[in-house]
Amino acid sequence: MTQADDKTVMDILRGLKRGASRRSLLQGLGATGVAIGFGGALAGCGPAQPPPGGGEAPTLNFYNWDTYIGETTLADFKAATGVDVNMTLFANNDELFAKFKAGNQGYDVIVPSNEYVTRMAEAGLLLKLDQAKIPNKANLLPEFQDATFDPGRAYSMPYTWLVLGIGYRKSKMVGGAVPDSWRYLFDSRQYAGKIALLSESADLIRLGAKYKGKSVNGLTPDDIKVVEEMLLKQKSAIKAFHDDNGQDLLVSREVDIVLEYNGDMAQVISEEGGEDIGFVVPKEGSLLNSDCLCIPAGAPRPDNAHKFINYILDGEVGAKISQTIQYPTPNRAARDRMPESYKNNPVIFPPPEVLAKCEYGTFEGAEKSQMYEEAMTRIRAA
Amino acid sequence: MSALPSLRIAKAAGGAPKAAPPGPLEYLRRWPLQVWLLGVTVFLYAPLLTLMAFSFNDSRRNIVWNGFTLKYYEKALGNESLIEALGNSLTIAFVATLISVVLGALAAVALWRFRFPGKLAAEGAMTLPIVAPEICMGVAMLVFFARVLPWPSGLAWPFNLGAIIIAHVSFCFPFVAVVVRARLATFNRELEEAAKDLGASEWRTFVDVLIPHMRPALIAGALLAFTLSLDDFVITFFTSGPDTVTFPVKVYSMVRFSVTPEVNAASTLLIVVTVALTAIALRLQRLEKTIA
Amino acid sequence: MEHHWKQAKGAFAAALAPPGLWLALFFLLPLGAMWLYSFGENAGLTEIALSGTFANYARALEPLYLGIFFKSLAVAALVTGLCLLIGFPVALAITFAPDRWKPWLLLLIMLPFWTNLLIRTYALIAVLRTEGYLNFTLEWLWNAGSWVTSTLGLGALPPFEPLALLHTTFAVVFGLVYVHLPFMVLPLYSALDRMDRSLLEASLDLGAGHLRTIFQVVVPLAGAGVVSGVILTLIPALGAYLTPDLLGGPDSQMIANVIERQFKRANDWPFGAALSFLLMYLTFIAIALQSLAGRRTAGSRR
Repeated sequence: MTQADDKTVMDILRGLKRGASRRSLLQGLGATGVAIGFGGALAGCGPAQPPPGGGEAPTLNFYNWDTYIGETTLADFKAATGVDVNMTLFANNDELFAKFKAGNQGYDVIVPSNEYVTRMAEAGLLLKLDQAKIPNKANLLPEFQDATFDPGRAYSMPYTWLVLGIGYRKSKMVGGAVPDSWRYLFDSRQYAGKIALLSESADLIRLGAKYKGKSVNGLTPDDIKVVEEMLLKQKSAIKAFHDDNGQDLLVSREVDIVLEYNGDMAQVISEEGGEDIGFVVPKEGSLLNSDCLCIPAGAPRPDNAHKFINYILDGEVGAKISQTIQYPTPNRAARDRMPESYKNNPVIFPPPEVLAKCEYGTFEGAEKSQMYEEAMTRIRAA
Repeated sequence: MSALPSLRIAKAAGGAPKAAPPGPLEYLRRWPLQVWLLGVTVFLYAPLLTLMAFSFNDSRRNIVWNGFTLKYYEKALGNESLIEALGNSLTIAFVATLISVVLGALAAVALWRFRFPGKLAAEGAMTLPIVAPEICMGVAMLVFFARVLPWPSGLAWPFNLGAIIIAHVSFCFPFVAVVVRARLATFNRELEEAAKDLGASEWRTFVDVLIPHMRPALIAGALLAFTLSLDDFVITFFTSGPDTVTFPVKVYSMVRFSVTPEVNAASTLLIVVTVALTAIALRLQRLEKTIA
Repeated sequence: MEHHWKQAKGAFAAALAPPGLWLALFFLLPLGAMWLYSFGENAGLTEIALSGTFANYARALEPLYLGIFFKSLAVAALVTGLCLLIGFPVALAITFAPDRWKPWLLLLIMLPFWTNLLIRTYALIAVLRTEGYLNFTLEWLWNAGSWVTSTLGLGALPPFEPLALLHTTFAVVFGLVYVHLPFMVLPLYSALDRMDRSLLEASLDLGAGHLRTIFQVVVPLAGAGVVSGVILTLIPALGAYLTPDLLGGPDSQMIANVIERQFKRANDWPFGAALSFLLMYLTFIAIALQSLAGRRTAGSRR
């Protein structure tokens, strides 16, 4: 036998002596890891047991966007009602919908956007709200007492509202002009290579249609084709399609002009170096959005859920939330308590004559969404 | 006629080991490979180091350096849900790795050693988890645990992580099997026959002959499985519920408003913990070696 | 010299049963449900009617989607090639390192991959963006060069133009290589580890240079490792969607991004399932072709 074989035989004989040392090592690793994991998970205790006399456990599973709640709101709610809120986060509406499509995994309150309220309600995924349990509804501004996307507010209560517009870096604008038309994003090469658009197909196509003078709803396949061709032509001028972090691209100087929500832009403007950043809602009008509080069907604790929603609609609580997140609030009582810098901020509350031209996008059925999606795929594949 | 003994004599007579020129196969001591390895290390670690450096950045948006602070570490350590998610991720990764290594090794041995009807189909089925797009698997798992085999909810930790662990094992163990199989290809069957001739049973042959040969592949496979499980987002997203959030899922949802230094701090902590664990494991192994 | 399974029924069952059952129950069953969906269509917003239609596959085979498939394949192949090129010397270095260094070197390679993918990608963004570290370094070098030329009397260089590296296909390839490197190194190392060193020594003794030895002796011996490394890199790279999503530009869309949008935004699970299965079929055909080719060359060599 060769030297190599000798070595192998020696190894094997040594292995026979040592036994299953590999397995014990792995076991040791596993045990240590589990011990650390256990310590970490102890921080979040197990599910609370329901009280002996029936009724709901004093806990609530709240599925929300990130940093979309006041600093002390959850703690205050617990102090006021004794209900412990467990808030988990999601990043966009599609994930929310995809996850709930196969059933509710134990969530009590969720925060979909307006279009998804319609979608989920139509799909039977939402619980009808018991209006009697939400007296704070009276705090809402008149235009939010009812909604086109949720007649009679049967399934949702508004949490915030937003409008899409153009964020820009003032020092990079030609002649210091304010880019108050969608043209600069969709149809002009003035800022070629420094433009970022939202990658959301429905929003993008509908805003393109708005630029062309149409309404955002009721688009025909021909309309979609027109917008698609415009965007195909513009494509070489676009630097990136962002997934709602356009404000970061603007701040880091990757782009100079971006399609973004007013709430995100307001946050960036109020931070370091924000004096050079501006936001404007184009004169052709724009899309309105509203994030709403809903209770998913099959929620284990609907009573607590109603209490929570009612609590959020309180004026004082709403003001504290707006203080933190700086998004436009639909709550009159909350708005009244906010400082002037918030109430008169043109980024947070665009002037009424511009808002008059803005519309809510309605959910027009799955087929329409698929048409938008395919147009987007074609634009990106070209 | 072999020149090998002469080489060895030359090495032995070469004097002090430190000053000897690199032997013909000591590639690591030759400068081309050293430079290459250095280059790859810089490539891999530069973004990571900036990540760790920026966890001390005193700026919420974390794009430009704004000053040194430890407050984000305080925030991260005080963020209960973040720590819980970290704990969940580590637990799931360890359990899933253990099961994956066992299943993967068994599958590799079965496919390597035996001829059986339908072997081609079995091999194909084993590569399916590697080939299937994660999003498809994620939705499949969602439907499975919702409609076909509902995982009981409200279980105490760690059993409520069961659904996620099962999903992770399903896509991890074929990776282990592929790595082990490549290793088995270099196994000299005569050794197995020799062991049998000496009277070893199937089981003893497996444990004392096959497993030591597979050891590097088992380690490599375990590392691979651990990485895959720790970092998985898509499949975990669809199989996790409000009580079973993992680290990638938590981070992904926090990214809507940009990556604050808090997330960097948490990642740095995760790296430190995993390095510490592995260092402990390696020390334990070396201890075993000196004792044996 | 494989055994027929009947020669050792007990061992065979013990080896195949646990992974087989697990695969069947927890993988094939859910995947089977998806396969059925690919022949279905949406009936309302949440229900899917299993109507046995081929419409989804027909749509998936349209030139639009086939084009995206092949583009993704090209990118994934490039990434795999680069990983092989970069990873092979690394695996070689680890294999021939002194024994006590081996675990540490392996750890060195694996460690970046225990960082969350999303965070690593954001770190890459910090490196690649217009005001990122790469451009910072390049600018510094450029200015230093400019200083040199002006001292030499050749005048200063024109002002530095930062490279637009982010949101391009280059960034996507860079990011994918960064993510998939260990999936190439580990199988290579695993196969190279107990390679018969005496063969190498013999080759060197016979007068072949190091490079020739590597290409003509080491690489063929590591064949199985190369194949498994390629499989473990190419296929995940083909199915990657987070990296192209974050680092890519307007035309860096890969097939997994399209599939993801079908399952989420478009709420068209049947079509998403059809696209996924088409991807799987194509991959299988590629693997089958590759193993057939491998078997033929192995036969001809004998």
